[in-house]
Amino acid sequence: MNSRAWAVLPVILLAVVVGAFVTSGTALTDLVGRNPPPADELDIRRVQFEPGEIKIRVTNPQQDDLTIASVTVDDAIVPFTLDGSARLGRLRSSTIHVAYAWVDGDPISVGVTSSTGIETTKEIAAAVETPGASAKGFLGNGLIGLLVGVVPVALGLLWLPSLRRADARWLSAFMALTAGLLTFLGIEALAEAFQRQAELPEPLAGAGLVLLGVALSFLTMTMLGSRLARGEQTAALGAGALALLVAIGIGVHNFGEGLAIGTSFAFGELALGTFLIVGFMVHNITEGLGIAAPAAEGGGHVGLGRLSLLALVAGGPAILGAWLGGFLSSDLLAVVFFAAAAGAALEVVVEVGRYVARRAVGGLRSNWVLGGFLAGIAAMYVTGLLAG
Amino acid sequence: MPKSRLSRRKLLAGAAPLVAAPTLAKLGLDGNAEAAEHDHAHAGHAAMVGEGAPAVGGPNDLDALLYPPPQARRAGGVVDYELVAHDHDLEIAPGVFFPAWTYNGTAPGPVIRATEGDRLRVRLVNAGTHPHTIQFHGIHPADMDGVFEIVGPGEDITYEFPARPAGFHVYHCHATPLKKHIHKGLYGAFIIDPPSPRKPAQELVMVMNGYDTDGDGENNFYTVNGRTFYYARYPIRVRRSQTVRIYLANLTEFDLVNSFHLHGDFFRYYPTGSTEAFEYTDTVMLCQGQRGIIEIDFANTGRFMFHAHQSEFTELGWMGFFEVVE
Repeated sequence: MNSRAWAVLPVILLAVVVGAFVTSGTALTDLVGRNPPPADELDIRRVQFEPGEIKIRVTNPQQDDLTIASVTVDDAIVPFTLDGSARLGRLRSSTIHVAYAWVDGDPISVGVTSSTGIETTKEIAAAVETPGASAKGFLGNGLIGLLVGVVPVALGLLWLPSLRRADARWLSAFMALTAGLLTFLGIEALAEAFQRQAELPEPLAGAGLVLLGVALSFLTMTMLGSRLARGEQTAALGAGALALLVAIGIGVHNFGEGLAIGTSFAFGELALGTFLIVGFMVHNITEGLGIAAPAAEGGGHVGLGRLSLLALVAGGPAILGAWLGGFLSSDLLAVVFFAAAAGAALEVVVEVGRYVARRAVGGLRSNWVLGGFLAGIAAMYVTGLLAG
Repeated sequence: MPKSRLSRRKLLAGAAPLVAAPTLAKLGLDGNAEAAEHDHAHAGHAAMVGEGAPAVGGPNDLDALLYPPPQARRAGGVVDYELVAHDHDLEIAPGVFFPAWTYNGTAPGPVIRATEGDRLRVRLVNAGTHPHTIQFHGIHPADMDGVFEIVGPGEDITYEFPARPAGFHVYHCHATPLKKHIHKGLYGAFIIDPPSPRKPAQELVMVMNGYDTDGDGENNFYTVNGRTFYYARYPIRVRRSQTVRIYLANLTEFDLVNSFHLHGDFFRYYPTGSTEAFEYTDTVMLCQGQRGIIEIDFANTGRFMFHAHQSEFTELGWMGFFEVVE
């Protein structure tokens, strides 16, 4: 037998064993005990309010089929119609339509009962009309994305001339500051990813999903970094390429930020406060500084066109995120996005670290570098309080 | 299907490839192309009548529980009943199944009727999986009380005692845990007629109950005679020219009280129906085990609602209509 056939053998044998187990039915599990009855609980994914109507999106997270039997609003049985099937296979979804004169701003609860009588309820803190896809909303979300993403990053980049005049030790401190604030962003995104992952219905809720997102973006960024480095003479990542990489890493993060803002607005969970927008702006201006530092490090001339590109790469995704946030009905995708943001940020930290180790006076252990790194984290924390 | 929804779907589907791999997108953004019917019933619950009311089954399914056996012509005989307790899944609301314990396959169980002075002989056969009993309300010897003589699965017992006092009573299982055995559906109506018959009337039995389908100690559904909105789906037809007599009992578990409220008219309410005393009202409140006799002389024809005057119970199934004809 050749080596290829040997390689397939375990797979074939596994198939045989699995087949035997499946055909034996419950014979084996009966030796141990009986399986507990299924939970029969549906998952209410999304509740939308339209004039005179409530739309409830439900998913079956269980192993077995579930049937939507009864629907309540505020503990009252209501007539309903369905987009899709009443009988849901595993991870299948349907939308329930209920004609209902809901009261604007009042708390409301919806309940969906499966045929085995198990009721899943969801409390909504305040019923507000879910904005549809309108030109006005599109413009508004776009402007918010611009304001919290592109504008502060662009303003931060204006520190470039001053940074260029700073001496080498200060510059290495600012590079370390970039690494510090990216670390902060990475950790925040990671925590967000884990938090959202924990809220997923159980069969989807493996923490491995977060790792998958992190690894996916980390490795993509690594690939991108080496591709950019190939253009350089030294084969090591140059300052210009590093600045671009930092901008991309921050951009992925800002996409997640825009997404969170867009989703929250769409579901009326976030008050569109001036304070909040201002908070995000102050928070994100430090990101511009983070891109400016490696750009200044290179010493060469950086044109206005290139600066605009960097601002757009880092801040523009906030606009995209804000647009998509209102339409994103999948918590699963949100987890992957935030995990990807974490992976991208952390990869850029590694790149910046390498760069600093190579270029900074005294390397990574210099007091300027250590201080800068800490200052980056502290700056993000303090400005983050404003957006909290 | 409205056009706007289609365009919304297209938008979602268009956005999906932008944001992630299509396989991931499928989990959350699937547009459900196989859309089903989409006519909105413009209905608050006031419109929950006839076809608009979500009730299980056909128009005569609950007749055996609603219409009691006729009054016996004369007293002093032996009245035999056989009740078989067994586990049985009941469809209590459309598509909602409750794993009930029943007497003779329904919850509430069959209506038992005798005349004061009759010798009542009720044989209980336990074909279920848990020990059960029957505890009759009324006056009887201590060993016929259904508390100490536990009937195990596969066993049987015959309760035998003179039926008294005249009035409207209830019976229910008294095995422990009591709450579980009652809530699961082991209860029913027990009528003892006075020796001189009550004046002729259109007689109805209504046993108020609730079902906790998810085991959290709170009822998810409320009914009379076992099915939500059943008499909204199939209004009870009565004649204006003749008294309507309702034997009303409350066997709702978990909640402190239940109630009966009639729209558009008043009635005489005889608590327990064992004396001549009555209250003239349109709303009565009963705790678990309380029961009484209602007599309505409808002043008008037309459709009149009746329901629990706990709005929550009303909207969770305990609501119906009388269709009063001349």
